[in-house]
Amino acid sequence: MAEPVVTLRHFFERARAGQLTGVRCGKCGELAIPPKELCPACGERAWQPVPLAGEGTIASFTVIRVAPRAYAADVPYAIAAVKLKEGVSLLGRIVDIPFEKLAIGLPVRFRPLVKDDQTAVGFGPA
Amino acid sequence: MRRVAVVGVGVTKFGKHDRTSSELFAEAAADALADAGLPASAVQALYYGNVVGGETEHQLHTGPQAASILGLHGIPTTRFETACASSHAAFRHAVMEIAAGVSDVVLVGGAERVLNVPTSESTEYFAYASDAVWEQTLGLTFPGVFALIARAHMDKYGTTEEQMAAVAVKNHKHGAKNPKAQFQKEITVEQVMKSAYVADPLKLYDCCPFTDGGAAVVLASEEVARKYRKPIWVLASAAASDWMLMGDKRDLSRVPATERAAAAAYRQAGLLPQDVDVVELHDCFTIAEIVATEGLGLFEPGTGGLAAEKGWTSVGGKIPVNPSGGLKAKGHPIGATGAAQIAEIVTQLRGEAGPRQVDGARTGLAHTLGGNTATVLVSLFGRG
Repeated sequence: MAEPVVTLRHFFERARAGQLTGVRCGKCGELAIPPKELCPACGERAWQPVPLAGEGTIASFTVIRVAPRAYAADVPYAIAAVKLKEGVSLLGRIVDIPFEKLAIGLPVRFRPLVKDDQTAVGFGPA
Repeated sequence: MRRVAVVGVGVTKFGKHDRTSSELFAEAAADALADAGLPASAVQALYYGNVVGGETEHQLHTGPQAASILGLHGIPTTRFETACASSHAAFRHAVMEIAAGVSDVVLVGGAERVLNVPTSESTEYFAYASDAVWEQTLGLTFPGVFALIARAHMDKYGTTEEQMAAVAVKNHKHGAKNPKAQFQKEITVEQVMKSAYVADPLKLYDCCPFTDGGAAVVLASEEVARKYRKPIWVLASAAASDWMLMGDKRDLSRVPATERAAAAAYRQAGLLPQDVDVVELHDCFTIAEIVATEGLGLFEPGTGGLAAEKGWTSVGGKIPVNPSGGLKAKGHPIGATGAAQIAEIVTQLRGEAGPRQVDGARTGLAHTLGGNTATVLVSLFGRG
């Protein structure tokens, strides 16, 4: 059985240290984040981990004002879909950017959001 | 493959109930059997949709639970969970069981109870249908998912908040004529525009409510259906999925699973979008209706908002959408929604929808979306 190249645990350990990581298919060159077992483009299982710059632009965003229980104390907070410069996209919580500055196309930079033993994807000013 | 027909439908009043989800299903199922004129003993299998029973009612194993409360035992039962599309997924599998010749009469339905817990709790449970590791940890909600879609659609096509409001106004107008609807009251664009933001740009009146309710339909093989009144034929039932993570969706202004399921359904039935006379589709949020009307091929991409604003999707318009009031006004008991949409289409095609009847409807479409748009079911129905 093949050893996974990047498990979720590894991904979030690296993310916690500030490094966003993707996987690139050794057969067809497809880039994926989060890691998958099989390449969605060619079906192969030949991933290599690749560091990502963590730089991207906002593709869409919202300000959440009614939250699930666990996040009720955080409202209002912004979440954005961010297209990374390598071409893949991720959702993340927006930090340190005023809501009125949020816009599609706004450059942002990855930053880990660490709370106890949980790490989440965040994006702050570029 | 054998032809399959819907021969009975039943839906509870939608809203707040002091009964368990199984009880709500049982009421709808008994009504559906009575409508079919079939005894419970004729039912050979139950396909059942329920989503958050484990959370709101501490109840799993809801297939045999629902059958037991109905007063049925001994038959195979299966619970389906595809988020808000659960009972439509159950329906598709029941159709296949009959088409394959395994059974002649199958009961399909679903139920949900959520108004027994506070909104912050139900918001959390619904969010469980997004990825736990990547998206729930952000505090993402379902209004949040559709807000991302709305913003992308507004950016790409110039869709406006007023056009989204027009969807809510239209569905409330329809719902006002549905005695089973949670909200039977008309609203104005101004009321929608003045309601508070839930997840910008979506406001409270862009969102469907939390709802308790149950729905059921009785399916039969052609041989059995011919003996019963007004069979409505299942012309197609198709499903598709999409990437689970919002980040993996390349164009947030579209719902590819809707486009895939619709293409498969039209192909199965040998029909085109313009052949459809009446549509019940998944308007969990106003933008969801706009994107669905485009994905189903009823309107060109980017014109779904205009269609609502111009009244093209109203009863009496070009292609009536959600004559029941939709999820927005009729309500959205998530496990029951697919079966309830199918029940409305059957009622419309029978010509029994009373004041909300779409005149002369012969072909109908039901579209149900699961959670973050990663599951979609589309079925087509026809008279005679």
